[in-house]
Amino acid sequence: MSAWRRHFFVFLLSLAVTGCQQAPPSSIVFAIATAPASLHPLLATDAVSERINELLYRPLVEYGPQGEPVPGVVRWRMRDARHYLLFLAGSPAAFSDGSPVVLEDVRQTLLTARDHPASPHASTLRNIREIRLEGGRLVLGLQDPDPRLPEKLHLGVAPAAYLQEDRRLARQPMGSGPFVLLGWNEDGGVRLQRRRDGLHVRFSVVPDPTMRALKLLRGEANLVQNDLPYEMYPLLQDSAAIELAALPGTTFSYLGFNLLDPVTGDRRLRAAIAHAIDREAIVRHLFMGHARPGNTLLLPGHWAAHPALRDYRHDPARARALLEAMGHGPDNPLRLSFKTSTDPFRVRVASVLQAQLKAVGIELEINSNEWGTFFGDIKAGRFQMYSLSWVGVRSTDIFRHVFHSESLPPGGANRGRYHSPAVDRLIDRSGQLSAQQARPLYREIQEQLHRDLVYVPLWHENNLLLARDVRAVSPQEDGSYRFLEQVSLRDD
Amino acid sequence: MQRLFDTALVLFGVVTLVFFLSAVIPGDPVDVMLGEHASSADREALRSAMGLDRPLHIRWADYLSGLLRGDLGTSLVRSRPVADLIAERLPATLSMALAAFVVILLIALPMGLLAAHFKGGPVDRAAAVFALLGQSIPNFWLGPLLVLLFSIRLGWLPVSGNESPAAILLPAITLGTSLAAVSMRMLRASLLEVLSQDYVRTARAKGVSRLKAILWHALPNALLPVVTLLGLQLGALLSGAVITEVVFAWPGIGSLLIDAIRQRDYPLIQGVVLVIAVAYVLINLLTDLLVRRLDPRIAAAEGDRP
Repeated sequence: MSAWRRHFFVFLLSLAVTGCQQAPPSSIVFAIATAPASLHPLLATDAVSERINELLYRPLVEYGPQGEPVPGVVRWRMRDARHYLLFLAGSPAAFSDGSPVVLEDVRQTLLTARDHPASPHASTLRNIREIRLEGGRLVLGLQDPDPRLPEKLHLGVAPAAYLQEDRRLARQPMGSGPFVLLGWNEDGGVRLQRRRDGLHVRFSVVPDPTMRALKLLRGEANLVQNDLPYEMYPLLQDSAAIELAALPGTTFSYLGFNLLDPVTGDRRLRAAIAHAIDREAIVRHLFMGHARPGNTLLLPGHWAAHPALRDYRHDPARARALLEAMGHGPDNPLRLSFKTSTDPFRVRVASVLQAQLKAVGIELEINSNEWGTFFGDIKAGRFQMYSLSWVGVRSTDIFRHVFHSESLPPGGANRGRYHSPAVDRLIDRSGQLSAQQARPLYREIQEQLHRDLVYVPLWHENNLLLARDVRAVSPQEDGSYRFLEQVSLRDD
Repeated sequence: MQRLFDTALVLFGVVTLVFFLSAVIPGDPVDVMLGEHASSADREALRSAMGLDRPLHIRWADYLSGLLRGDLGTSLVRSRPVADLIAERLPATLSMALAAFVVILLIALPMGLLAAHFKGGPVDRAAAVFALLGQSIPNFWLGPLLVLLFSIRLGWLPVSGNESPAAILLPAITLGTSLAAVSMRMLRASLLEVLSQDYVRTARAKGVSRLKAILWHALPNALLPVVTLLGLQLGALLSGAVITEVVFAWPGIGSLLIDAIRQRDYPLIQGVVLVIAVAYVLINLLTDLLVRRLDPRIAAAEGDRP
């Protein structure tokens, strides 16, 4: 949606807010932008499917408040450096058909996640060479020692028999989570029922953000999370029936660079860009305050996050000086290509960055492309500079995935072709240590990345949840829908 | 027979073009399915399992032979038969197309008649303004405007979706209004042309009123080009009004196509485009047959050919 159109609707929305009346619905309707592609707990990769699957399937291992692994369906014990023992966790879990979760289900879950050709977890679990039942426990034998294997076992458990039939499970999920599937909607959304009290939740697919806002306004939807133009939030809040709940989220936005390019490969340029950007102003005016400048991929509360990386403060004079040292000035401005998606908000952010960089003598040419084309270009290294976000980062595996020199696309996400033997060594070593031992190494990694400016860090975006006629709404920092376990319809 | 051969040729061209275009657009279904964490070996394994590692011309030949057996293939991302996915969405597209078509008829026919009857008067000018607005207001704008009025302000109709029967009204009006503007102008122009012909003047000279002359003498002939246009419009409606479906969250084949393109789900893209092409070709065929029936001169002229 173009900017003028959005502004026009915002204006009309402001007129309409006062005139809305609607009876409360009989079940909770959650308006989402895209339909889930698959409800298979191990093969789904799109964010909506993963979030709905979290409601349907309990995972083997959960994440604690600081991103640390805690028991889910199983608890674990390390027998020696190359063996883990898994046991069913204390409270017995049952699938929605009433059958209990047994270790054979856990074994099949791990085998499917490791060996299925369409499993996105295959490479993460390749180190597990043996999975066998031994009495009342499951033995995992590893190729190489991995003291932090449990972090990688955040996998939804399904019955062994169902796992043999991919297509059936993708459409008719059978999990031990707090919700059960009632059916699929014509629009591709799903209807769930909460197992403990029978509450119905309908995920209704509404691709257009303006229409999602209007459905909430009229009372046809009870919940909308994120993906609305930021200027709509205060207007929707003007309606007495709508409440906004916000929480700092794990979505981390950054500027990425092609480090093999002679221009963007020069650290001085990246530092000039970091000093030229006024993140506070962008957060204040474009995000309406619903984001926080951030310096690292992990949220500040994460156990491995560096607590005190120094900001590259907004300092246009310093940016100009750095550019001058590179031989660029008012008579010889630097021209850069900047790639982004066609998402209207991202294009707006790009325009603001363009203006801020122009003020220090960098002329940014914005190329916005449809997602598939844009992302294909980024993975192929066809860019100088781009902007993207990491969503829901919890595992420290992210450092290997994004910054190790062996993680070049398509097998990894080192899109800028960063190569630092020192960082590689730190990443390799940290993976072999316990969390407590690895913590200082992760800090060192983050310091080095920050110094090298592999990314120019931008901000962590808040998760914003708009609710109407629903009680006990509290968004999760990773944007998950697990708050639905607690909500209830307002009676009055 | 010739017509059937032409139809088959068009469909073959569409299928082939879409097949090869899908293969060359940037993006990869393997990326959509595996995400970025997968290794190159895993990617190749999946590519092989899906048959995407085979040469393009072999995949094309397989696809064509599948089509001949009535098999549209299996969705790469959803792992379901493409025919099933389309069959689930087609009724919604058909119902919206028919509803929008009714809107076109309800607006275009009376307004075209009145504009011709009161040529140059206020009614004609009002119709011209409507036509201008109808053609220039895009659906993605008109849709939310109608929602703000009828759903939010007045509370009469649902905002979007297809949960209640009344939900079809706003998308149908949105879709029908712009197309009605064109049909209305076409009917007016056609009527005015026919009204100036000798047989209408003769009827008028014999004392037939202007309104009666329009309705009984001019309209049947003036409708011929309008029927052709309406046929084209119905074809466009059946092919899934993508923007309107997306705006109103209407679960038809237009929104299915958008999802398929986003996910680079090649078999689904090909299947939906094929259905759209078939719908277009069939509607055009039926329109031609209808026009020949309405105007015997066409059949006679073709019969006179050496």
